[in-house]
Amino acid sequence: MNTNMSNAAYFKYWRACAAMGPVFLTAFIVCWGVLGYNIPPIPADFTAEQMAEHFRTNYNEVRAGMAGAMLFGVLYLPWTLAITKVMEWINPNENNMVSTLQMWGGGLTVVPLVTSSVFWLTAAYRPDVLDAVTLQMLYDQGWLLIDMFYAITTIPMVAIGIAGLTDQRKQPLFPRWACWYSIWAGLSFLFELLMPFFKSGLFARQGWLNFWVEFIVWFAYIVIVTYYVFKAIPRLEQERSALLAKA
Amino acid sequence: MADPSSLPALATEPTDVTETPEARVPGVLVFILADMIVFAMLFTGFMVERSGQLALFDQSSATLDVWLGILNTLILITSGLFVVFAVNAARQGRTRATRGWLLATFVVGAGFGVTKMVEYSAKIEHGITMHTNDFYMFYYALTGAHFLHFLGGMLALAVLWFMAGRQKVDGPLFGLIESGALYWHMVDLLWIVIFPLLYLLGTR
Repeated sequence: MNTNMSNAAYFKYWRACAAMGPVFLTAFIVCWGVLGYNIPPIPADFTAEQMAEHFRTNYNEVRAGMAGAMLFGVLYLPWTLAITKVMEWINPNENNMVSTLQMWGGGLTVVPLVTSSVFWLTAAYRPDVLDAVTLQMLYDQGWLLIDMFYAITTIPMVAIGIAGLTDQRKQPLFPRWACWYSIWAGLSFLFELLMPFFKSGLFARQGWLNFWVEFIVWFAYIVIVTYYVFKAIPRLEQERSALLAKA
Repeated sequence: MADPSSLPALATEPTDVTETPEARVPGVLVFILADMIVFAMLFTGFMVERSGQLALFDQSSATLDVWLGILNTLILITSGLFVVFAVNAARQGRTRATRGWLLATFVVGAGFGVTKMVEYSAKIEHGITMHTNDFYMFYYALTGAHFLHFLGGMLALAVLWFMAGRQKVDGPLFGLIESGALYWHMVDLLWIVIFPLLYLLGTR
């Protein structure tokens, strides 16, 4: 225990880590989404030849996009840690199971983000010599990984919601609506369960539900949580100052 | 680095606890609203697809058992009525009555699960899957997503029943009971839209 630590020292890096959320989101949309041709995804019902044509034409953008996605994808980790630090203050007299689950779940979310980018990068690396079916397989594999590993992202989303809802403050650090949104958004990813069964329609990777709705829901969650983390930090600084004064 | 629990004042003094029991209710409405928006989009998607394949959708709809659908509707509405009684009993601080009505809600609601299993089994026995055609894709997706919500509701009812045996029902638990009841009504409401869309629109 070090109650002598000043607030400036204690809360150092919190805001910087929290800011990594919007940085991640912006960079990921640009690199993974726009340069990588994943917003919207190449339809699952495209033929292997159509897919091969895409990689043989746009390989340089995809390479740049995926390199960027792998670089900025890891920023999800410091952003997650900023949330964890705030969560540790929600119910300080309880054990840290929920905040730890949030930290691990959020940290491990980096894995599908980065690993799926490797598959798309592999396809863009030698598209001139790889056959069309292999290119199709690599693109499919990237999408199957990023979509079907959704549960690792559901864990921190539900954990934030549960922690926030049990906040005993008159004005909780995370408002009730944001907590319920977080839980709902995490659970809504369950629709991805149907993604491997369809190549067209709303449940396919490019479908309006499993792509547009689910990704917008996730992006909105990042914005909402970041906003309330930034609002929570000055309140916690005040709370800690008051507690240190009493100690 | 000092963690929050290591500060002595926090170890003994909870933060300001002045929340009213009802304060948790509006929050769950966000969950319900967001859920219903997605279902509304699914319903719209169904109607758009139906307009393009009217004969196929009507023909497929005719294979569904309307009476089983009516039974499911009655089960959920009755169960929804019982949960209202549970909330009223909780508001009056009647623990035994609250638990009794929560149990009745659960038991009646369980009938929905049984009839859905019967219905799904019959369809699968006849080789009807979500790949049979677009109608059945929506049939399984809508009823399946609804069924997952139903299971979540049953779990919530069971948890509330246990908690009501250990806490005052008109204390902080009341907000959770009311939130659970609101969620259970959403399960009702969604079914009340799913039933005519899937089972009745195609009947002649």
